[in-house]
Amino acid sequence: MLIDTDVHERVMYEELLPYLEQPWKRYIEDCHWIQEKHMPYTQPAVAGVDRADARIPDGRPAGTDLSFMQQQLLDANNHEKAILTGALDPSPSSMHGWYEMATALATAYNNWQIDKWLDQDERLYGSIHIAAQEPWNAVKEIERVGSHPKMVQVLLPIDDKLWGDPYYHPIFEAAQRHNLAIGMHHNEPPVYYGQWPKYFIEWHTLIPTSHMNVVTNMIFNGVFDKFPDLKLIMIEGGFTYVPFLMNKMDQQYTDLRHEVPWVKRMPSDIVRENMLFTTQPLESMKKKELMQIIDQLGSDEIISFSTDYPHWDYDSPDAALPPNLDDDLKEKLYTENARNFYPKF
Amino acid sequence: MEQKVCHKEDLQPGEMMESTLGKHSIVVCRASDGHYYAFLNRCIHQGAPLSKGKLCGAPAPTDNVGEYNFEKDGDILRCPWHGREFDVKNEGRMLVNEKYKVKNFSVSVENNDVIVYN
Repeated sequence: MLIDTDVHERVMYEELLPYLEQPWKRYIEDCHWIQEKHMPYTQPAVAGVDRADARIPDGRPAGTDLSFMQQQLLDANNHEKAILTGALDPSPSSMHGWYEMATALATAYNNWQIDKWLDQDERLYGSIHIAAQEPWNAVKEIERVGSHPKMVQVLLPIDDKLWGDPYYHPIFEAAQRHNLAIGMHHNEPPVYYGQWPKYFIEWHTLIPTSHMNVVTNMIFNGVFDKFPDLKLIMIEGGFTYVPFLMNKMDQQYTDLRHEVPWVKRMPSDIVRENMLFTTQPLESMKKKELMQIIDQLGSDEIISFSTDYPHWDYDSPDAALPPNLDDDLKEKLYTENARNFYPKF
Repeated sequence: MEQKVCHKEDLQPGEMMESTLGKHSIVVCRASDGHYYAFLNRCIHQGAPLSKGKLCGAPAPTDNVGEYNFEKDGDILRCPWHGREFDVKNEGRMLVNEKYKVKNFSVSVENNDVIVYN
Protein backbone atom coordinates (compact mmCIF):
# COMPACT_ATOMS: atom_id res chain seq x y z
CA MET A 1 0.00 0.00 0.00
CA LEU A 2 1.07 3.57 -0.61
CA ILE A 3 0.07 7.05 0.45
CA ASP A 4 1.52 9.07 -2.40
CA THR A 5 2.21 12.62 -1.22
CA ASP A 6 2.71 14.25 -4.61
CA VAL A 7 0.45 13.53 -7.58
CA HIS A 8 -0.17 16.20 -10.20
CA GLU A 9 -3.61 16.49 -11.70
CA ARG A 10 -3.87 19.01 -14.48
CA VAL A 11 -6.65 21.26 -15.64
CA MET A 12 -7.16 22.55 -19.16
CA TYR A 13 -8.23 26.17 -19.12
CA GLU A 14 -11.47 25.35 -21.00
CA GLU A 15 -12.37 22.93 -18.20
CA LEU A 16 -12.22 25.78 -15.68
CA LEU A 17 -14.70 27.93 -17.59
CA PRO A 18 -17.88 26.34 -16.15
CA TYR A 19 -16.52 26.99 -12.66
CA LEU A 20 -15.63 30.65 -13.22
CA GLU A 21 -17.95 33.55 -12.59
CA GLN A 22 -18.11 36.54 -14.92
CA PRO A 23 -16.21 38.68 -15.64
CA TRP A 24 -13.36 36.24 -15.02
CA LYS A 25 -14.70 33.68 -17.43
CA ARG A 26 -14.60 36.08 -20.37
CA TYR A 27 -10.92 36.91 -19.86
CA ILE A 28 -10.12 33.32 -20.72
CA GLU A 29 -12.98 32.67 -23.14
CA ASP A 30 -12.77 35.89 -25.13
CA CYS A 31 -9.33 37.29 -24.37
CA HIS A 32 -7.37 34.02 -24.24
CA TRP A 33 -5.79 34.86 -20.91
CA ILE A 34 -3.22 32.39 -19.60
CA GLN A 35 -0.94 32.73 -16.61
CA GLU A 36 2.44 34.22 -17.34
CA LYS A 37 5.29 31.72 -17.16
CA HIS A 38 8.96 32.53 -17.37
CA MET A 39 11.07 29.39 -17.57
CA PRO A 40 13.51 30.13 -20.38
CA TYR A 41 14.59 26.56 -21.06
CA THR A 42 13.97 23.82 -23.50
CA GLN A 43 11.87 21.05 -21.99
CA PRO A 44 13.82 18.48 -20.00
CA ALA A 45 12.47 15.21 -21.40
CA VAL A 46 10.95 13.67 -24.52
CA ALA A 47 7.42 14.72 -23.51
CA GLY A 48 8.26 18.04 -21.94
CA VAL A 49 7.96 17.94 -18.16
CA ASP A 50 5.79 14.79 -18.29
CA ARG A 51 6.41 11.09 -18.56
CA ALA A 52 5.91 10.35 -22.25
CA ASP A 53 3.81 7.28 -21.45
CA ALA A 54 1.53 9.35 -19.22
CA ARG A 55 0.16 11.35 -22.12
CA ILE A 56 -3.50 10.45 -22.62
CA PRO A 57 -3.93 8.19 -25.69
CA ASP A 58 -6.30 10.71 -27.29
CA GLY A 59 -3.54 13.31 -27.23
CA ARG A 60 -4.48 15.31 -24.12
CA PRO A 61 -1.65 16.23 -21.73
CA ALA A 62 -0.62 13.94 -18.89
CA GLY A 63 -2.60 14.28 -15.68
CA THR A 64 -5.82 15.46 -17.30
CA ASP A 65 -7.79 12.19 -17.20
CA LEU A 66 -8.91 10.45 -14.03
CA SER A 67 -9.51 7.00 -15.51
CA PHE A 68 -6.08 6.98 -17.13
CA MET A 69 -4.48 8.01 -13.84
CA GLN A 70 -6.41 5.32 -12.01
CA GLN A 71 -5.16 2.70 -14.41
CA GLN A 72 -1.56 3.84 -14.74
CA LEU A 73 -0.89 4.98 -11.17
CA LEU A 74 -3.47 4.27 -8.51
CA ASP A 75 -4.42 0.70 -9.45
CA ALA A 76 -1.01 -0.31 -10.74
CA ASN A 77 0.79 0.69 -7.55
CA ASN A 78 -1.90 -0.27 -5.06
CA HIS A 79 -2.35 3.30 -3.83
CA GLU A 80 -4.19 3.63 -0.55
CA LYS A 81 -4.32 7.41 -0.94
CA ALA A 82 -2.89 10.06 -3.25
CA ILE A 83 -2.57 13.76 -2.44
CA LEU A 84 -3.29 15.96 -5.46
CA THR A 85 -0.92 18.89 -5.73
CA GLY A 86 -1.98 20.57 -8.98
CA ALA A 87 0.18 21.34 -11.95
CA LEU A 88 0.98 24.89 -10.89
CA ASP A 89 -0.74 26.20 -13.98
CA PRO A 90 -2.68 28.11 -13.06
CA SER A 91 -0.95 28.82 -9.76
CA PRO A 92 -2.96 31.65 -8.22
CA SER A 93 -0.44 32.37 -5.47
CA SER A 94 2.33 32.77 -8.06
CA MET A 95 0.57 35.44 -10.10
CA HIS A 96 2.56 38.65 -10.05
CA GLY A 97 -0.45 40.90 -10.39
CA TRP A 98 -4.23 40.91 -10.85
CA TYR A 99 -4.92 39.23 -7.53
CA GLU A 100 -8.67 39.49 -8.10
CA MET A 101 -8.29 37.11 -11.03
CA ALA A 102 -6.04 34.89 -8.90
CA THR A 103 -8.74 34.71 -6.23
CA ALA A 104 -11.38 33.77 -8.80
CA LEU A 105 -9.11 31.13 -10.34
CA ALA A 106 -8.43 29.58 -6.93
CA THR A 107 -12.14 29.22 -6.21
CA ALA A 108 -12.83 27.76 -9.65
CA TYR A 109 -9.93 25.36 -9.35
CA ASN A 110 -11.02 24.09 -5.96
CA ASN A 111 -14.55 23.48 -7.18
CA TRP A 112 -13.28 21.70 -10.30
CA GLN A 113 -10.90 19.60 -8.20
CA ILE A 114 -13.67 18.51 -5.83
CA ASP A 115 -16.08 17.78 -8.70
CA LYS A 116 -13.81 15.99 -11.11
CA TRP A 117 -11.35 14.27 -8.82
CA LEU A 118 -12.04 14.16 -5.07
CA ASP A 119 -15.68 13.15 -5.45
CA GLN A 120 -14.82 10.57 -8.12
CA ASP A 121 -12.28 8.36 -6.38
CA GLU A 122 -12.11 7.66 -2.67
CA ARG A 123 -8.33 7.39 -2.80
CA LEU A 124 -7.83 10.99 -3.90
CA TYR A 125 -7.28 13.85 -1.45
CA GLY A 126 -6.89 17.50 -2.35
CA SER A 127 -4.94 20.71 -1.90
CA ILE A 128 -6.75 24.00 -1.42
CA HIS A 129 -5.51 26.55 -3.93
CA ILE A 130 -5.55 30.14 -2.70
CA ALA A 131 -4.44 33.56 -3.86
CA ALA A 132 -2.10 34.10 -0.94
CA GLN A 133 -1.00 37.56 -2.06
CA GLU A 134 -4.11 38.90 -0.35
CA PRO A 135 -4.34 36.85 2.84
CA TRP A 136 -7.82 38.11 3.72
CA ASN A 137 -9.20 36.65 0.48
CA ALA A 138 -7.14 33.50 0.89
CA VAL A 139 -8.67 32.99 4.34
CA LYS A 140 -12.16 33.31 2.84
CA GLU A 141 -11.38 30.51 0.43
CA ILE A 142 -9.99 28.32 3.22
CA GLU A 143 -13.16 29.00 5.20
CA ARG A 144 -15.25 28.09 2.15
CA VAL A 145 -13.72 24.69 1.33
CA GLY A 146 -11.56 23.91 4.36
CA SER A 147 -14.13 21.67 5.95
CA HIS A 148 -14.41 19.45 2.88
CA PRO A 149 -13.41 16.04 4.26
CA LYS A 150 -11.00 15.34 1.42
CA MET A 151 -9.19 18.67 1.39
CA VAL A 152 -6.11 17.95 3.53
CA GLN A 153 -3.79 20.89 2.92
CA VAL A 154 -3.43 24.46 1.72
CA LEU A 155 -1.02 24.73 -1.19
CA LEU A 156 1.56 27.50 -1.36
CA PRO A 157 4.11 27.78 -4.16
CA ILE A 158 7.79 28.18 -3.48
CA ASP A 159 8.48 31.04 -5.81
CA ASP A 160 9.56 34.61 -5.16
CA LYS A 161 7.71 35.19 -1.87
CA LEU A 162 8.66 34.05 1.59
CA TRP A 163 5.39 33.09 3.23
CA GLY A 164 6.63 33.10 6.84
CA ASP A 165 6.21 36.88 7.07
CA PRO A 166 3.53 37.80 9.64
CA TYR A 167 1.55 39.42 6.81
CA TYR A 168 0.62 35.88 5.71
CA HIS A 169 0.00 34.42 9.17
CA PRO A 170 -3.80 34.61 8.88
CA ILE A 171 -3.47 31.85 6.28
CA PHE A 172 -1.70 29.61 8.79
CA GLU A 173 -4.19 30.42 11.51
CA ALA A 174 -7.05 29.41 9.21
CA ALA A 175 -5.26 26.23 8.12
CA GLN A 176 -4.58 25.15 11.67
CA ARG A 177 -8.18 25.87 12.66
CA HIS A 178 -9.47 23.65 9.84
CA ASN A 179 -7.02 20.78 10.54
CA LEU A 180 -5.26 21.47 7.27
CA ALA A 181 -1.55 21.09 6.69
CA ILE A 182 0.42 23.58 4.61
CA GLY A 183 1.88 22.01 1.48
CA MET A 184 4.69 23.85 -0.24
CA HIS A 185 5.77 22.92 -3.73
CA HIS A 186 8.17 24.86 -5.93
CA ASN A 187 6.79 26.68 -8.91
CA GLU A 188 9.45 28.67 -10.71
CA PRO A 189 11.64 29.80 -7.83
CA PRO A 190 14.62 31.97 -8.53
CA VAL A 191 17.65 29.94 -7.48
CA TYR A 192 20.44 32.11 -8.83
CA TYR A 193 20.62 35.37 -6.92
CA GLY A 194 16.98 35.96 -7.73
CA GLN A 195 17.34 35.02 -11.37
CA TRP A 196 17.53 32.03 -13.68
CA PRO A 197 20.80 30.16 -14.09
CA LYS A 198 21.83 29.50 -17.68
CA TYR A 199 20.63 25.92 -17.98
CA PHE A 200 17.66 23.87 -16.79
CA ILE A 201 20.05 21.37 -15.25
CA GLU A 202 21.46 24.10 -13.00
CA TRP A 203 18.01 25.30 -11.99
CA HIS A 204 16.71 21.81 -11.34
CA THR A 205 19.80 20.85 -9.34
CA LEU A 206 19.33 23.85 -7.09
CA ILE A 207 15.61 23.43 -6.36
CA PRO A 208 16.37 22.20 -2.82
CA THR A 209 17.97 25.58 -2.10
CA SER A 210 14.59 27.22 -2.64
CA HIS A 211 13.05 24.73 -0.21
CA MET A 212 15.77 25.62 2.29
CA ASN A 213 14.83 29.28 1.93
CA VAL A 214 11.26 28.57 2.87
CA VAL A 215 11.94 26.20 5.76
CA THR A 216 14.41 28.68 7.26
CA ASN A 217 12.02 31.57 6.73
CA MET A 218 9.02 29.81 8.28
CA ILE A 219 10.99 28.82 11.39
CA PHE A 220 12.73 32.13 12.09
CA ASN A 221 9.58 34.14 11.42
CA GLY A 222 8.04 32.27 14.32
CA VAL A 223 5.27 30.48 12.43
CA PHE A 224 5.54 27.30 14.50
CA ASP A 225 5.82 29.14 17.80
CA LYS A 226 2.65 31.04 16.97
CA PHE A 227 0.86 27.99 15.51
CA PRO A 228 2.41 25.02 17.32
CA ASP A 229 0.02 22.48 15.80
CA LEU A 230 0.58 23.63 12.23
CA LYS A 231 2.06 21.01 9.91
CA LEU A 232 4.23 21.83 6.90
CA ILE A 233 4.95 19.34 4.13
CA MET A 234 7.76 20.23 1.74
CA ILE A 235 6.91 18.66 -1.60
CA GLU A 236 9.33 17.64 -4.34
CA GLY A 237 12.48 19.01 -2.82
CA GLY A 238 13.66 15.65 -1.47
CA PHE A 239 15.08 15.29 2.02
CA THR A 240 18.83 14.86 1.74
CA TYR A 241 19.42 18.57 2.37
CA VAL A 242 17.52 18.46 5.64
CA PRO A 243 20.26 17.16 8.02
CA PHE A 244 22.57 19.94 6.92
CA LEU A 245 19.88 22.57 7.30
CA MET A 246 18.87 21.35 10.77
CA ASN A 247 22.47 21.56 11.97
CA LYS A 248 23.03 24.93 10.36
CA MET A 249 19.84 26.44 11.79
CA ASP A 250 20.60 25.07 15.27
CA GLN A 251 24.09 26.53 15.20
CA GLN A 252 22.84 29.89 13.94
CA TYR A 253 20.04 29.95 16.51
CA THR A 254 22.51 29.18 19.29
CA ASP A 255 24.60 32.17 18.24
CA LEU A 256 21.89 34.57 17.12
CA ARG A 257 18.83 33.90 19.28
CA HIS A 258 18.80 37.54 20.32
CA GLU A 259 17.52 38.53 16.87
CA VAL A 260 14.50 36.17 16.94
CA PRO A 261 13.38 36.02 20.58
CA TRP A 262 9.97 34.70 19.45
CA VAL A 263 11.58 31.38 18.46
CA LYS A 264 11.59 29.16 21.54
CA ARG A 265 12.55 25.72 20.30
CA MET A 266 15.65 24.46 18.57
CA PRO A 267 15.00 24.66 14.83
CA SER A 268 15.80 20.97 14.45
CA ASP A 269 13.09 20.17 17.01
CA ILE A 270 10.61 22.26 15.02
CA VAL A 271 11.58 20.37 11.87
CA ARG A 272 11.03 17.02 13.57
CA GLU A 273 7.78 18.01 15.27
CA ASN A 274 6.05 20.07 12.57
CA MET A 275 7.36 19.01 9.17
CA LEU A 276 7.33 16.21 6.63
CA PHE A 277 9.49 15.91 3.51
CA THR A 278 8.56 14.02 0.37
CA THR A 279 11.18 11.69 -1.04
CA GLN A 280 11.07 12.46 -4.76
CA PRO A 281 13.30 13.22 -6.60
CA LEU A 282 15.48 10.62 -4.94
CA GLU A 283 19.19 10.68 -5.57
CA SER A 284 20.70 7.24 -6.09
CA MET A 285 21.68 5.83 -2.74
CA LYS A 286 22.42 2.55 -1.06
CA LYS A 287 20.57 1.35 2.01
CA LYS A 288 23.55 2.28 4.16
CA GLU A 289 23.49 5.85 2.85
CA LEU A 290 19.76 6.20 3.45
CA MET A 291 20.18 4.93 7.00
CA GLN A 292 22.97 7.44 7.61
CA ILE A 293 20.71 10.28 6.51
CA ILE A 294 17.89 9.03 8.71
CA ASP A 295 20.34 8.84 11.60
CA GLN A 296 21.35 12.46 10.98
CA LEU A 297 17.70 13.53 10.81
CA GLY A 298 17.21 11.99 14.24
CA SER A 299 13.93 10.54 13.04
CA ASP A 300 12.59 8.05 10.53
CA GLU A 301 9.17 9.67 10.74
CA ILE A 302 9.63 12.89 8.74
CA ILE A 303 10.05 11.42 5.25
CA SER A 304 7.19 10.22 3.08
CA PHE A 305 7.29 8.55 -0.31
CA SER A 306 6.04 10.47 -3.32
CA THR A 307 5.98 9.64 -7.02
CA ASP A 308 5.47 13.09 -8.60
CA TYR A 309 3.31 11.36 -11.22
CA PRO A 310 3.01 12.13 -14.13
CA HIS A 311 6.18 14.19 -14.38
CA TRP A 312 9.32 13.16 -16.19
CA ASP A 313 11.36 12.65 -13.02
CA TYR A 314 8.75 10.30 -11.53
CA ASP A 315 9.97 7.96 -8.79
CA SER A 316 8.71 4.40 -8.99
CA PRO A 317 7.45 2.96 -5.69
CA ASP A 318 9.12 -0.31 -6.66
CA ALA A 319 12.50 0.94 -7.77
CA ALA A 320 13.39 4.36 -6.35
CA LEU A 321 14.28 3.49 -2.76
CA PRO A 322 17.26 1.25 -2.08
CA PRO A 323 16.42 -2.49 -1.86
CA ASN A 324 16.20 -4.59 1.28
CA LEU A 325 14.90 -1.93 3.62
CA ASP A 326 13.43 -3.21 6.87
CA ASP A 327 9.68 -3.78 6.74
CA ASP A 328 9.04 -1.34 9.59
CA LEU A 329 10.87 1.44 7.78
CA LYS A 330 9.12 0.73 4.49
CA GLU A 331 5.77 0.94 6.20
CA LYS A 332 6.71 4.31 7.66
CA LEU A 333 7.96 5.71 4.37
CA TYR A 334 5.13 4.39 2.21
CA THR A 335 2.15 4.97 4.50
CA GLU A 336 2.54 5.55 8.22
CA ASN A 337 4.45 8.83 8.21
CA ALA A 338 1.93 10.51 5.92
CA ARG A 339 -0.98 9.04 7.84
CA ASN A 340 0.39 10.37 11.11
CA PHE A 341 1.28 13.75 9.61
CA TYR A 342 -2.00 14.90 8.10
CA PRO A 343 -4.43 16.04 10.79
CA LYS A 344 -7.36 14.77 8.70
CA PHE A 345 -5.98 11.21 8.28
CA MET B 1 41.69 27.93 46.89
CA GLU B 2 40.56 31.48 47.43
CA GLN B 3 41.87 34.64 45.94
CA LYS B 4 41.21 38.34 46.23
CA VAL B 5 40.53 39.56 42.69
CA CYS B 6 39.63 43.24 43.10
CA HIS B 7 38.18 45.90 45.33
CA LYS B 8 34.44 46.44 45.42
CA GLU B 9 34.64 49.83 43.75
CA ASP B 10 36.79 48.50 40.89
CA LEU B 11 33.58 47.36 39.15
CA GLN B 12 30.32 49.24 38.78
CA PRO B 13 27.06 47.33 38.09
CA GLY B 14 27.17 46.17 34.46
CA GLU B 15 30.98 46.02 34.32
CA MET B 16 33.35 43.07 34.19
CA MET B 17 37.08 42.45 34.34
CA GLU B 18 39.57 39.74 33.63
CA SER B 19 41.45 38.21 36.53
CA THR B 20 43.18 34.99 37.52
CA LEU B 21 42.39 32.25 39.97
CA GLY B 22 45.43 30.07 40.40
CA LYS B 23 46.35 29.02 36.90
CA HIS B 24 42.89 29.87 35.52
CA SER B 25 41.92 33.00 33.67
CA ILE B 26 38.57 34.10 35.03
CA VAL B 27 36.08 36.86 34.33
CA VAL B 28 34.54 38.73 37.26
CA CYS B 29 31.18 40.35 36.53
CA ARG B 30 29.20 42.82 38.61
CA ALA B 31 25.57 42.36 37.66
CA SER B 32 22.77 44.90 37.66
CA ASP B 33 21.87 44.03 41.27
CA GLY B 34 25.37 44.98 42.40
CA HIS B 35 26.38 41.40 43.21
CA TYR B 36 29.58 39.83 41.92
CA TYR B 37 29.83 36.67 39.84
CA ALA B 38 32.91 34.86 38.53
CA PHE B 39 33.35 32.43 35.65
CA LEU B 40 36.07 30.62 33.80
CA ASN B 41 37.18 33.07 31.14
CA ARG B 42 36.66 30.60 28.34
CA CYS B 43 33.55 30.14 26.24
CA ILE B 44 32.26 26.54 26.24
CA HIS B 45 31.85 26.74 22.48
CA GLN B 46 35.31 27.40 21.05
CA GLY B 47 37.25 28.82 23.94
CA ALA B 48 36.92 32.56 23.30
CA PRO B 49 37.96 34.91 26.16
CA LEU B 50 34.59 35.96 27.57
CA SER B 51 36.06 39.05 29.25
CA LYS B 52 36.51 40.53 25.75
CA GLY B 53 32.79 40.28 25.09
CA LYS B 54 29.98 42.39 26.53
CA LEU B 55 28.10 42.40 29.79
CA CYS B 56 24.78 43.49 28.36
CA GLY B 57 21.09 42.64 28.19
CA ALA B 58 19.04 40.51 25.82
CA PRO B 59 15.64 40.49 24.14
CA ALA B 60 13.28 38.43 26.31
CA PRO B 61 11.41 35.46 24.85
CA THR B 62 8.13 36.71 23.44
CA ASP B 63 4.99 35.33 21.85
CA ASN B 64 4.84 38.17 19.35
CA VAL B 65 6.84 38.03 16.14
CA GLY B 66 8.73 41.28 15.65
CA GLU B 67 8.60 42.30 19.31
CA TYR B 68 11.81 43.07 21.21
CA ASN B 69 11.62 43.45 24.99
CA PHE B 70 15.11 44.23 26.18
CA GLU B 71 15.73 42.91 29.67
CA LYS B 72 18.44 41.79 32.10
CA ASP B 73 20.67 44.73 31.16
CA GLY B 74 24.02 44.08 32.79
CA ASP B 75 23.29 40.42 33.51
CA ILE B 76 24.04 38.73 30.19
CA LEU B 77 27.61 37.84 29.30
CA ARG B 78 27.86 37.78 25.52
CA CYS B 79 30.76 35.94 23.94
CA PRO B 80 33.12 38.12 21.84
CA TRP B 81 33.21 35.61 18.99
CA HIS B 82 29.90 33.92 18.12
CA GLY B 83 27.70 35.96 20.39
CA ARG B 84 26.35 33.20 22.60
CA GLU B 85 24.53 34.56 25.64
CA PHE B 86 25.18 33.42 29.23
CA ASP B 87 23.11 34.57 32.19
CA VAL B 88 25.50 35.54 34.97
CA LYS B 89 22.71 35.45 37.56
CA ASN B 90 21.70 31.95 36.53
CA GLU B 91 25.02 30.15 37.11
CA GLY B 92 26.29 31.19 33.66
CA ARG B 93 23.68 29.12 31.84
CA MET B 94 23.18 29.71 28.16
CA LEU B 95 19.94 31.54 27.32
CA VAL B 96 19.21 29.36 24.33
CA ASN B 97 19.62 26.11 26.22
CA GLU B 98 20.02 26.06 29.99
CA LYS B 99 21.61 22.62 29.90
CA TYR B 100 24.85 24.32 28.92
CA LYS B 101 26.78 26.67 31.21
CA VAL B 102 30.11 28.34 31.74
CA LYS B 103 31.97 27.06 34.78
CA ASN B 104 31.17 29.37 37.66
CA PHE B 105 32.98 30.08 40.91
CA SER B 106 31.75 31.14 44.35
CA VAL B 107 32.31 34.78 45.23
CA SER B 108 32.15 36.65 48.48
CA VAL B 109 32.72 40.25 49.49
CA GLU B 110 34.68 40.78 52.67
CA ASN B 111 35.19 44.32 53.82
CA ASN B 112 36.22 46.01 50.58
CA ASP B 113 37.57 42.92 48.81
CA VAL B 114 35.97 40.66 46.20
CA ILE B 115 37.14 37.09 46.81
CA VAL B 116 36.71 34.14 44.43
CA TYR B 117 36.79 30.51 45.58
CA ASN B 118 37.55 27.30 43.72
